[in-house]
Amino acid sequence: MMNSGFDRRDFLKVLGWGGAAVALSGCGNGSVEDGKETVVSYVETNDYMIPSISVYFNSTCAQCDAGCSITGRLREGRVLKLEGNPDSTINRGKTCGLGQAGVQHHYNPDRVREPLLRTGSSGEAITWEKAYALIAEKTKGVSGEEIAFLSGGVSGHLKVLLGNYLDSFGCKNHFAYEAIAPAVLRAANKKSYGVEMPRFNIGKAKVVLSFGADFLGSWVSPVHFSQQYAQFRKGVDGQRGVLIQVESKMTLTGANADRWLVVRPGTEGILALGLINALGAHGVALSGDVAAAVKGYDKARVSKDTGVSAEQIDKIVALLKARTPSLVLAGSAAEGYAHGSQNAAAINLLNQVLGNVGKTVEVAEVVPFPQMAPTTGNTAALRKLNDGLAAGKYKVLFSYAANPVFTAPGAMKFKDNMAKAGFKVVFAHYLDETALQADLVLPLDSALEDWNTQVPEYLATCAQINIQQPLMEKLHANTRGMGDILLALLKQRRAEEYKGFEDYYAYLRGAMLKNKAALGGGKLDDDTFWNETLSKGIVKLEGRVGGLSGRASAAGLTLPAPAAVDAQYPLQLIPSVNASLRDGRHTNQPWLQESPDPLTTIVWDSWVEIHPRKAAELGIVEGDIVEVSGKNGSIKAQAYLFPGIHPDAVSIPLGRGHEAMGRYAKGYGVNPFQILDPVFDKETGELALHETRVKISKAGSRVIVVKDEGVVGGMQMGKKIAVRVSSDKVKLSEEV
Amino acid sequence: MSVSNLLENWSEFRHLHPVDDVPHDPYKWAMSIDLDACSGCNACSVACYAENNLPVVGKEKYAHGQAMHWMRIERYWDEDGREFPDQGAQFLPMMCQQCEAAPCETVCPVGATNHTPDGINSQIYNRCIGSRYCSANCPFKVRYFNWYDYPTTDNVWPAEMNQQLNPDVTVRGKGVMEKCTFCIQRVTVAKNNAKNEGRIVHDGDVQTACQQACPTSAISFGNLVDKESKVYKQWKAQQVELDKDAQAKDKNEEGRSELRGYRIFEELRPYPSVMYLERVRESAV
Amino acid sequence: MMKDISEDIAWAKINKDVLKSLENPRKLYWVILFIAIAMVGVAVGCEVYQYNIGMGVANMDNPHMWGLYIATFIFWIGMSHSGTLLSAILHLMHADWRKPIYRFAEAMTTFSLMTAGLFVAVHLGRVWQIYYAIPYPNGRMVWPNFQSPLLWDAMAIFTYLSSSILFLYVGMIPDLAIVRDNMHSGWRKKLYSALALGWEGTDRQWRNFRVTYLTIACFLIPLAVSVHSIVASDFAMSQQPGWHITSFPPYFVAGALYSGCAAIITLFIILRYVFKFEEYMTLSILKKIVRLTFAIAMVWTYLNLIEYASVWYGHDQASKDVLIQKATGPYAPFWWMMNFCGSIVPLLMFFKRFQTNIPVMFAVSLLLNLGMWLERWMIVAPTFSHGYYPWTWDHDQWPSLIQWGIVFGSFGWFTLLFMVFCKVFPSVSMYEVKEMVYHRKQATKKLATAGKGAH
Repeated sequence: MMNSGFDRRDFLKVLGWGGAAVALSGCGNGSVEDGKETVVSYVETNDYMIPSISVYFNSTCAQCDAGCSITGRLREGRVLKLEGNPDSTINRGKTCGLGQAGVQHHYNPDRVREPLLRTGSSGEAITWEKAYALIAEKTKGVSGEEIAFLSGGVSGHLKVLLGNYLDSFGCKNHFAYEAIAPAVLRAANKKSYGVEMPRFNIGKAKVVLSFGADFLGSWVSPVHFSQQYAQFRKGVDGQRGVLIQVESKMTLTGANADRWLVVRPGTEGILALGLINALGAHGVALSGDVAAAVKGYDKARVSKDTGVSAEQIDKIVALLKARTPSLVLAGSAAEGYAHGSQNAAAINLLNQVLGNVGKTVEVAEVVPFPQMAPTTGNTAALRKLNDGLAAGKYKVLFSYAANPVFTAPGAMKFKDNMAKAGFKVVFAHYLDETALQADLVLPLDSALEDWNTQVPEYLATCAQINIQQPLMEKLHANTRGMGDILLALLKQRRAEEYKGFEDYYAYLRGAMLKNKAALGGGKLDDDTFWNETLSKGIVKLEGRVGGLSGRASAAGLTLPAPAAVDAQYPLQLIPSVNASLRDGRHTNQPWLQESPDPLTTIVWDSWVEIHPRKAAELGIVEGDIVEVSGKNGSIKAQAYLFPGIHPDAVSIPLGRGHEAMGRYAKGYGVNPFQILDPVFDKETGELALHETRVKISKAGSRVIVVKDEGVVGGMQMGKKIAVRVSSDKVKLSEEV
Repeated sequence: MSVSNLLENWSEFRHLHPVDDVPHDPYKWAMSIDLDACSGCNACSVACYAENNLPVVGKEKYAHGQAMHWMRIERYWDEDGREFPDQGAQFLPMMCQQCEAAPCETVCPVGATNHTPDGINSQIYNRCIGSRYCSANCPFKVRYFNWYDYPTTDNVWPAEMNQQLNPDVTVRGKGVMEKCTFCIQRVTVAKNNAKNEGRIVHDGDVQTACQQACPTSAISFGNLVDKESKVYKQWKAQQVELDKDAQAKDKNEEGRSELRGYRIFEELRPYPSVMYLERVRESAV
Repeated sequence: MMKDISEDIAWAKINKDVLKSLENPRKLYWVILFIAIAMVGVAVGCEVYQYNIGMGVANMDNPHMWGLYIATFIFWIGMSHSGTLLSAILHLMHADWRKPIYRFAEAMTTFSLMTAGLFVAVHLGRVWQIYYAIPYPNGRMVWPNFQSPLLWDAMAIFTYLSSSILFLYVGMIPDLAIVRDNMHSGWRKKLYSALALGWEGTDRQWRNFRVTYLTIACFLIPLAVSVHSIVASDFAMSQQPGWHITSFPPYFVAGALYSGCAAIITLFIILRYVFKFEEYMTLSILKKIVRLTFAIAMVWTYLNLIEYASVWYGHDQASKDVLIQKATGPYAPFWWMMNFCGSIVPLLMFFKRFQTNIPVMFAVSLLLNLGMWLERWMIVAPTFSHGYYPWTWDHDQWPSLIQWGIVFGSFGWFTLLFMVFCKVFPSVSMYEVKEMVYHRKQATKKLATAGKGAH
């Protein structure tokens, strides 16, 4: 039913719907088809709207940047549920919990509904005309250097429009910021492989050795990797893939590993070099520079530095040698240090030594429209913006799809620095922490109401452009799509150039039709091509294929010795990334708040993970409110005794602790971003998320931890409930 | 109305499930869940909230054990006393097992929970008086009671949020029991579509919400009577039979079996319709 | 040897004394009545709140689906058994000493059943649909589930309640006629006239009366045994560890008789004081009830130990875990207290000097009932907290004040009904006491004659 393709009738539905949505999201109220007013009525409904019959429209999930294609189910003009679009090579019909909650982003009761202008300490609802006029007024005569535009990762036509708008000022201050992004890895990959994001073919690997890459939870493109993982487990030639996860705090991926290795925080690179050294000792040919680089990393030293036993290293080496191809991944846990780049380089080097490059690390296709290619976010951008703000450089600040007041380390004093900007415009979905600091808040359409195109950073098997289209009418009359806003702003600057486009939809359609041939629709007429594009929700392309470059020289690859224990702050704080809450932008979606953290099963609150041994040392039991304090502040949260963490580390999940945003987010939990030490990766300048050192003490009170697991925690008490079996006892190849 | 009338009507409902029972024809819905593929990501659970109008109860009620997750993901640790869980965790999606001889069905005083001819354990909300005996007798504790009137509770479905509610699924008021239905609303649509085309439902015509979302495709759902269905093939391959309380695997000597399929609490003889496949752990590391 | 009753009480005095209880009890009566009404008020308030907001306010959860309501329901059902024991079983066994006390025991049966019935309603999530549980004729042929022990329960309780009311009423007819004849005109006179059904005390009436009374008594005995066996089935027929125990029906019946007898002692002492019944509710009778209670206590103790032993030596690990959990887990203080109150405290009754010691017996009887209430709670709650599925084990759930309030109020409700009954109806059977006195006189005479003859 849902898997069957779309027939001609469905094309018409899409067309009709597009028309209706455009009518309401654009400036006028006329339908594209016949210019009539579009009113939804059961008596004379649109032909796609049959009471009690569901219709389905394809679009793109905007909950994260992975670019999964979705199919929205509609009844009586309301979107009810999002499913994966089976045609997408990224998610192949699957979705994650975060994606499922997209409807709650759309229907959220705490959305901003009117443009708000700050008057003193409160906001006043104003009209869009006034808002646009105000922006025109404030940007008049302002030079390009005095304007800053902060955004999350952007791609597609929105990126083009944004670029053009900033261009109209001669402004080069576009800061693409993502609080948790594999930015160090991108740089390391660029050096090692020649591309920022190659294709990691987990499905083809027989062994995956992951250094803290939570590819089943939140890393890069988790739904895609989850499918690859399933394939990997079934095995190539009937041999089940083996997953070894190396990290200091267990992630969801770590929980699924055959072997989870706890390492001293920050020593991932040392272990990688140690493994190369051991491989060399076991007869794997190492080139001179590599051999030189790993020379000092003998088993005894590596074992001492990392805490991984020598036998374990031998076992892994034997496995890596015996089963090829393998795949080594460097994840956020490895890159979150001041020497994150070196860690990632060392780990990538292991891939090269194992000969995985070209086998399981492959080159990804690239969308042949460089202007639409994703501008990925990172934290170095925020640092730069913050410095500029602190220096009072900016008269006008725009912020879109970012919440830096919440996600910037407290020590950066972003909130104070932001106040120094002359006029602050925030395009907002919620009145979040950043929107509250704005002078002008402009309410955005939800992703289920808006038009867009998107190019995912991680392309699975082919190059593709994702179409985001409205699944239903706008819920609120006075929200606007980001594309429409940018178009309106551009018209202020370059009226002549953009006068032909009534709205963003028209622009998008025009832009796509112009490149019809390149988009694979050369033989089709405009309407057919457009309808087909919309009904599919995806444009698959012949991508450009470059090659992976030869490896970077290992010369100069050095890793610092493990940091000495800081007597005052003896513990390492690991801010963990929950697959649902990520950096906290979706915390106001109640399904996600109530969806238990997979490892601790805690809901609605933050917690401090601490190893039972450490807890016993400190006299901490579950539910104790503990104060976690570092050089840059302290937070209090409930303790949770968690075996999957290094005893010298504590972990607090990111995403909670909002002081604003909405009823489901505000006041639940604490925000560890606030106490992060401002330590940066030496090569890339990225914020080193895992470099904060803290101490922990009991704050006195105790609470009952709100979680799903029962009083006996994760024990089965001798009952046969979740059963496991050793791999030599099953024949997976004979299974269905 | 007479006593004989009463007894005759009643006798229709008396079956000895599933051993003496009329075979399910043409449908017997069943599931198999591969724990080796399941990553514990919770996507299924959220999808279930979205599909089945489950209320978000909030922190306070969750703290009181009143959560309404029809599908919960349980996380188990190895109990071998090691300092670190170096073989990871075990995840188990647990929802109503749709038992063939369901302990809940016999005890309901008003017959609000019944076995359908398709082998699904149905729950009639309108009939339920809230004695909660079914839950008391459920070995898996997968039945969830409406302790409050969620449709009128603040911030459960406030304005706009209520527009997301699935019109194919009842929104339950206070005082009734509810549980996983195997997405009966989807099954019904598929059956009707098939009927209109004069055939039975093919494998893949219907997916449950959890199955559809599952990023690792760990969940299979289908018709156990249909020999072409994946579920049938999986059960067959694992030699798990619906009406047995011990399977081929159990009869083997300890640890010798190459089969992974098992059902939880089989020894209690509820004859669950959900087969789990054991998680595999690599022996080489 | 103490006499059950003095042989020289004039019949007119019996009438006068008992009728006095309808007129002017001690002040304590009004105090008790007032407290009872206040307690009912608390319960009504709690129930109104729970009805409006939902069962969640009782702080039940998954897995704690049942709480104090069901435990207290069993408690009240159990309490009802003593009336039947005294009035029906002892009647058939010609135990004369029951005569001054069976009337209030029978009233206790009726009122505790009425209280128990309320708990079914209070417990239901949708009490407004409670009639679904009754096999009433309906056009859609929708029947309740006859497989469910809960349905048997509903039917058994209804049958038992109606039979008990009938039994109480029928046994009271000759007394109602006495009251009617001694009443000044007014609403009460009209009431008694109607209820006395024109009783004249003719020979034919007496003959019919005896036959009817005996018939109902015979009918009631198996009913009493069945009703608590069926309540036991609610648990024994389920599949849960700690419930699925074959010995539950006799165990429940013994427990029921036990708590009922203990309650009789309590009420005996209260009534004796409040209505100045010292002459009729004599210490000798008290001693006999105490001995009976002691015997039942030992039977209960035996069955209790059997239950533990059968679980302990059975092969069901889950049941065993529940038992261990009871003895060591969060419920341990209550479980040990139940065993103490149920099996150790009654040992005091073994000693003659305590058997007629009113303050001691009053305290003991209260403790026994506390023990029996705890027993019911310990049957219900630990199984929920520690069932088959470890993931859902919940040892921390504690009933909310709403639950406690309703349980507390139920005692007020029972007391209220009982006290009103005692004020409106003769709580001591006048005609049977007269018989007793008569028999006593005959016996004394016979003894005297026999003595003379010996000389």
